[in-house]
Amino acid sequence: MQPDQTVDYEALERTHVQSVYQAIAPHFSATRYKPWPVVEDFLGAIPDGSIGADVGCGNGKYLGVNPKLLTIGSDMSSNLVGICAQRGFEAMVCDNLHLPYRTNCFDFVISIAVIHHFSSFERRVAAVKELVRTIRPGGKILIFVWALEQEDGSKRKFEKQDVFVPWNLDAKTFAGKSKSVAANGGRRKGKKNQGQDGQDSAAVVEDKGDTKEVDSATTPSSPEVANPNVAKTIEALSLESNPEDAAPKVVVKSGNENIVYQRYYHVFVKGELDQVVEAAGSLDVNKSGYDRDNWYIIATKK
Amino acid sequence: MLMCHVKGCSTDNFPLRIEDAEMEQVEVEFNEDFCRRLINKIDWPAFVQTAFALGLDQLPAALPDDLDEEFLQRIHKLALETKLKAGRMVCNGCKHVYLITDGIPNMLLQETEV
Repeated sequence: MQPDQTVDYEALERTHVQSVYQAIAPHFSATRYKPWPVVEDFLGAIPDGSIGADVGCGNGKYLGVNPKLLTIGSDMSSNLVGICAQRGFEAMVCDNLHLPYRTNCFDFVISIAVIHHFSSFERRVAAVKELVRTIRPGGKILIFVWALEQEDGSKRKFEKQDVFVPWNLDAKTFAGKSKSVAANGGRRKGKKNQGQDGQDSAAVVEDKGDTKEVDSATTPSSPEVANPNVAKTIEALSLESNPEDAAPKVVVKSGNENIVYQRYYHVFVKGELDQVVEAAGSLDVNKSGYDRDNWYIIATKK
Repeated sequence: MLMCHVKGCSTDNFPLRIEDAEMEQVEVEFNEDFCRRLINKIDWPAFVQTAFALGLDQLPAALPDDLDEEFLQRIHKLALETKLKAGRMVCNGCKHVYLITDGIPNMLLQETEV
């Protein structure tokens, strides 16, 4: 008996966050190399010999920024964690909502461009609460999330808070090698086809009339794609996309085949991160600011 | 790195027991200040227990008041230079097993265990 379609935030995130990062890992990693100054400064100010965590560490971009600290990385994507391990960093696969760390153990935690991938207020608060749990009283946290309000001159303009942002993968680099890409976890350097580091360039997907459904032979299978609850969640969040568009699509553009993945984001409005932090509790906000298209907060655990 | 001292099982059991461990040594530059701070942070009994269980070293049950360079080098070797390439981490409380493959622990839980 088929269950009723119900909103399933977790299923949406599995399809449009986790599966996507797994698929694009090496290509994504190639575009993530330049540390953001606010994060660098934060890590630079932490006392030598401190131990902390980077939850949602991606390719480990921040794990080595301050070598006088011991920073443990973690991410849901085993392919991205594999890249961290190859670089000699300490990292594990785990869920932000269920961290395997002891309570009150870390001197610091950073969460850079992670919380905006959670699709409900409750889940965003729960994620921050988990981070806070692992920090010792007096320890520090830095959270960075994408802002709805983009700086002038940005190609991108968000009309709504819940959005899909496309990621284009060159099918030639990817197709037929999808299994080995997933297994290698980043030994191959992906093409830097995403513009400036830190954010995706406004990926314009030109449908030149030759869009076809992705052949299961060329992409890693995503079991959640067929999950009707994902469509229901997309509808509930008024995401600008037909449920059919949610599946990865091959798009032919100027003779090149790209596979387009839709990544889910909840972009934050001014003051919203403060609300999430407040709801999570146990934090004294030290600084609340905006930097390069992102809202951030630095706080101390009470 | 023998990072057993910061991992915890979701059902609140710590430290995890490490079985079938495949380890390797890497070279990490020794930094005395870093080492001293690190020692203050780790759960000493858990660290001693794990180092012993893995057959690596037999550390004193209580942290000595005076930490000389030789002692610090021992800690440096265990905490920073010994890497777990593969193995199983078992919770003594609930028996849940976490796998380490290629140096990467998988700490994801099944839905039913959450």
